Amino acid sequence: MIPTAVIGIGQTRHAAKRDDVSMPGLVREAALRALADAGLEFKDIDAVVMGKAPDMFEGVPNPELFLADALGAAGKPMFRVHTAGSVGGSTAVVAAHLVSSGIHKRVLCVAWEKQSESNAMWALSQTYPFQPPVTAGAGGYFAPVIRAYMSRTAAPEHVGWKVAVKDRLNALKNPYAHLQLPDISLETVKASPLLWDPIRYLETCPSSDGACAMVLSSDTAGVKNPAWVLGTSMRTEPLLFAGRDEVTPMAGQLASKDVCAEAGITPAQIDCAELYVPFSWYEPMWLENLGLAESGWRAVDRGDTEMTGKLPINASGGVLSSNPIGASGMLRFAEAALQVRGAAGAHQLDRARIAMGHAYGGGSQFFSTWLVGAEKP
Amino acid sequence: MSLPTDDLVSPFTLEYTYKRSTGPVIGRFLAGLRDGQLLGVRTLTGDVLVPPTEYEPTTGDAVTDEFVEVGPEGTVSTWTWISNPGPKDPVSVPFAWAMVHLDGASTPMLHVVLSPEASLKTGARVRAKFAETRVGHIRDLAGFEVVT
Repeated sequence: MIPTAVIGIGQTRHAAKRDDVSMPGLVREAALRALADAGLEFKDIDAVVMGKAPDMFEGVPNPELFLADALGAAGKPMFRVHTAGSVGGSTAVVAAHLVSSGIHKRVLCVAWEKQSESNAMWALSQTYPFQPPVTAGAGGYFAPVIRAYMSRTAAPEHVGWKVAVKDRLNALKNPYAHLQLPDISLETVKASPLLWDPIRYLETCPSSDGACAMVLSSDTAGVKNPAWVLGTSMRTEPLLFAGRDEVTPMAGQLASKDVCAEAGITPAQIDCAELYVPFSWYEPMWLENLGLAESGWRAVDRGDTEMTGKLPINASGGVLSSNPIGASGMLRFAEAALQVRGAAGAHQLDRARIAMGHAYGGGSQFFSTWLVGAEKP
Repeated sequence: MSLPTDDLVSPFTLEYTYKRSTGPVIGRFLAGLRDGQLLGVRTLTGDVLVPPTEYEPTTGDAVTDEFVEVGPEGTVSTWTWISNPGPKDPVSVPFAWAMVHLDGASTPMLHVVLSPEASLKTGARVRAKFAETRVGHIRDLAGFEVVT
């Protein structure tokens, strides 16, 4: 495979309503920042890959066609990726493969969501006559799975609150983050309304408008600090089958094994990670699922996942602080790359030579991961 | 075998709850229509795009922030006659969908021509007709009429 690196990263300011921009304006905000970071223009790009969550979320079928011209893709290959909430990560993986396989030299990938233009809850939970309403949304779906984890591991309730506080305090160091909650504390999380037992309001992600873009290239001449792609994986499993373990899905475990095998490292060699944590409890759950900790909740409780801990998780503030659904996965991948490039600004970690980006979607069915490193493989 | 005599019936309205942010360029164009103006945007290479976009469509390059008033007259570059308008068509009488190249614009724009079929031809000169009540919508431009 041809060594491939992230050479440009851009993201929008994420907010509940970016009604100051159109959809083309939103994706261009991220894409132009990624191009500027790479010192390139649209004319230098060979192909564009776009990912976003289901088209129902904005009501624009095939938005990659609508947005091709806005992304300078006229006359170029334009590729769409669909993998539910993990799509931002999968989009980056597809872009990396287009470069590492030698098909293209420079690929722009873009992932986005403009949740304010519709209602994702409505798009997910349409109620039809004579059928029981789903009216679940993601929180109602995942709450019993979280309860199962707590029951299985005897994890105390405050672990979820700790993650909620940590990610919001990290977000204060990230100017792009949607939520800025300087007064958050264990007490305020604990006192916030219980939405879906055991998930409290402040343990949930916001609903955001936003976009993320990256330039991946095999040509790093003149690039000061490329983030090298050391390994990628996409794994999927069905929503329902006998013996399925929703707490720690097999597809997630394999997505971690794959990238570590491809990079030739063990999980212990990962310095930091950006994990897709839309509800606080998914941090300890994914730590175990990915093989990053034996006991996820004890790692959280010890402070291992804080910015000063031995395995910082979501120094950017994570999905708990910004959730433009389609972009959320790519933000994890991009923030991992920012860390190994030493370009994360105020939320830069001291030691970040190898970082993991992770995303999941559907009912914990679709997983994508990558490992990026400061050293050329 | 007996057939059911009463069908279960329940009302169901499939609703699309979408809205759109128009942004600084299309938003300006729609505000122009409300004010009875046709606006285009100038590209870096000097072309005038009507309706305006936030980018030059063949390259993705940004456009300038210069808005240019075009029309109100223009030339029909191609058209098709609708002899039996349907319920979703913008007008209930026979009309033409036409690409109208407004004076001062570099690109043609799709809209309706409200004149009789016999008066239409490629190259026909037309003039914008605005609606009396305007709200910032493409229908603020009622259509075009052939200039005789």
